Amino acid sequence: MEQVLLVRYGEIHLKGLNRPFFERKLIDGINNVLRGFHARVRRDQGRIYVYGIAEDRIDDACDALTRVFGVHSISPAMAVEKDWDAIVAAAAQLTEQAAGGRAATFKVFSRRSDKGFPMNSETINRELGHALLERFPNLSVDVHTPELKVCVEIREQAFIYAAEIMGAGGMPTGTAGRAALLISGGIDSPVAGYLMAKRGLTLSAVHFYSYPYTSERARDKVVELTRLVSRYAGPVRLHLVPFTEIQLAIYEKCPPKETTVLMRRLMMRIAELLAKQDGALALITGEALGQVASQTLESLCVTDDAVSMPVFRPLIGFDKEDIVTIAKRIGTFETSILPYEDCCTVFVPQHPVTKPEVAKLRESETMVDFAPMIAAALEKTETLEVGAD
Amino acid sequence: MIYLDNSATTRTLPAAAEAAQKYMCESFFNPAAAYSPAVESERAVNGARARLAEAMHGSAEEIVFTSGGTESNNMAIHGALGAMRGRGQLITSAVEHPSVYEVMRGLASEYNVREAGVDKEGRLDLTSLAEQLTPDTRFVSIMQVNNETGAINDIPAIYKLVKQEAPGALVHVDGVQGFLKVPFDARSCDFYTISGHKFHGPKGVGALYVKKGTRFLGGQIGGGQERNLRSGTTNTPGIMGMDAALQYYLANQGTIWQNMRACKMRLAENLLTLPDVLINGPAPENGAPHILNMSFLGVRGEVLLHALEEKKIYVSTGSACSAHKKGKNRILNAMGVTGDRQEGAIRFSFSLFNTPAEMDEAAAAIAGLLGLLRRFRRR
Repeated sequence: MEQVLLVRYGEIHLKGLNRPFFERKLIDGINNVLRGFHARVRRDQGRIYVYGIAEDRIDDACDALTRVFGVHSISPAMAVEKDWDAIVAAAAQLTEQAAGGRAATFKVFSRRSDKGFPMNSETINRELGHALLERFPNLSVDVHTPELKVCVEIREQAFIYAAEIMGAGGMPTGTAGRAALLISGGIDSPVAGYLMAKRGLTLSAVHFYSYPYTSERARDKVVELTRLVSRYAGPVRLHLVPFTEIQLAIYEKCPPKETTVLMRRLMMRIAELLAKQDGALALITGEALGQVASQTLESLCVTDDAVSMPVFRPLIGFDKEDIVTIAKRIGTFETSILPYEDCCTVFVPQHPVTKPEVAKLRESETMVDFAPMIAAALEKTETLEVGAD
Repeated sequence: MIYLDNSATTRTLPAAAEAAQKYMCESFFNPAAAYSPAVESERAVNGARARLAEAMHGSAEEIVFTSGGTESNNMAIHGALGAMRGRGQLITSAVEHPSVYEVMRGLASEYNVREAGVDKEGRLDLTSLAEQLTPDTRFVSIMQVNNETGAINDIPAIYKLVKQEAPGALVHVDGVQGFLKVPFDARSCDFYTISGHKFHGPKGVGALYVKKGTRFLGGQIGGGQERNLRSGTTNTPGIMGMDAALQYYLANQGTIWQNMRACKMRLAENLLTLPDVLINGPAPENGAPHILNMSFLGVRGEVLLHALEEKKIYVSTGSACSAHKKGKNRILNAMGVTGDRQEGAIRFSFSLFNTPAEMDEAAAAIAGLLGLLRRFRRR
């Protein structure tokens, strides 16, 4: 008998000739989170098997696997010979662990992929149920809402398991190319990065800071948020861009109402330049429609006008509450709410324009020669590979 | 580097670090052990105890070594109330350190907790205290020196007033900012808190003075160290390090005070020549010699702090303990320092390591930054 983790994947099954590519990337992702577990990962007939995990680290390994995009679900299972007595023994051991001497209801679910096995799935259900009832007088069968599921799969080996742990879903990291996330330090941007990475994107991230208006701690916070996202998304290339000079120029020379939108345009522009350097094809922001003045439809149009790359806004239709729920689930929330000011809030005007016009904003932008400042900011940009240890 | 945040913590004196190291690497024995090197350590700790007691005009058996100011404050309040029968009234001020203020707030469901007001310099208002005191008052906790403004409370007067109006009440004085910086006599309190790292000792060590004859439960329970008032293996490196700092401070107290006062005056004079700069708290010639609080109108203190940081000048926008908390400054609020004046407040705090030349440099740096920062006010 051997412990094994069954890893199921979902959407990849729909792929055609390039399916092996997706499967390889998925296995890369699995190997990445299982570094240090001494795991052997094998793919066979639409399944991935993870062998060699120490008994006491099974839970940790399952937890790590729930962070791999492309994984539909995980089951810690016992693998035995396709021998009836061995199957019954394994099922009994599983039942003992799960129910012990306690009264419980159960049901056997079986699946026979290897049609060479002499019993069909219905027979397995019936016979195994019978055998378990004989050994555990405290058990009874409930085929509708059993407390305990005893699952059997007959493949090249027989696998017996009880639990199915849901995975992160999505597409394997590195199957969809690269995009650059604008990350501020708030609640939304890490969630946006997570959701797009979930669709297979590799991430770059761009953060703007305004020292001395923002502190060293705000910077550490963004590095930490990026690291938290990288637990799912794999290594993230983080660019830290000094933005004070540009912000002060906007503040001093441009109409006060427009400072926020102008700032957004310049951020997008710099992010696009960095994205191109990294070979990224799109930008990602954490904007949600109507959340603040710079996120009205008009403002978003004006922001988009500054760049030619597509801008992904996975949170566009989300309420704050929904975003918070995801942030809590992926573990970024507690860090996001640390009270360090970020550059977006430093010079917020009292009455920002909520319906900016593209033509007007383009004109306001000509009041300052931003090109040398952008070049200087890029010159001083610091780049870190986060989560690549 | 120009370090002007000595109320947050001070640089450990080499003599203190050496003493601590000696009791870590050589005389590392547990003073509670039975063999002679351990007895030697115990004697050393008791020597330190006697010297500390003497520095506050107390006696050795009145000193309980702790892990620092927060523990001493917590222990004074809980240990005193735990030994009293029945409930009653507790009084503190609006400007206390969180390790007093929050403990008192936590007790508000069981006791009648009252806050005595402070004047606009941050000094306890004796009239307000007198109004609050009743025969039912059980405990009064007041700081010796306001950690934001350096205002000095008249502890003997407070002690006399409390004992007169509420003979059953005990008086705790938080001396974390005051000890060694301004004169003190433990005869005018029942409990007195000190912390080693505020006078160039190591972090993680402090003491609580408990007046002889005071009913007191003590703090954490265990092996019965510190006359069963504060269990836990004796922190010999910390205690001996603090002792070395204390010895140095006492031997040079006059010079240190003079130096700190000179720095404070010099910085204040320099900065007051700049437009829209105000002093919060007492005039620089009054108050504790080591704390100066000033407001730079039209600038956010936090921004000025970070801009100075770039020039390796380190200051504070409020006590570090409240800097972790978002929102308004409770202590300046209580003094009526609000709005622009509160937002632009910076605390400078000095030590024996500062020099008047540093003050000129710091003032020049601030003068240079103010112009730029004031151009970019939040609209």
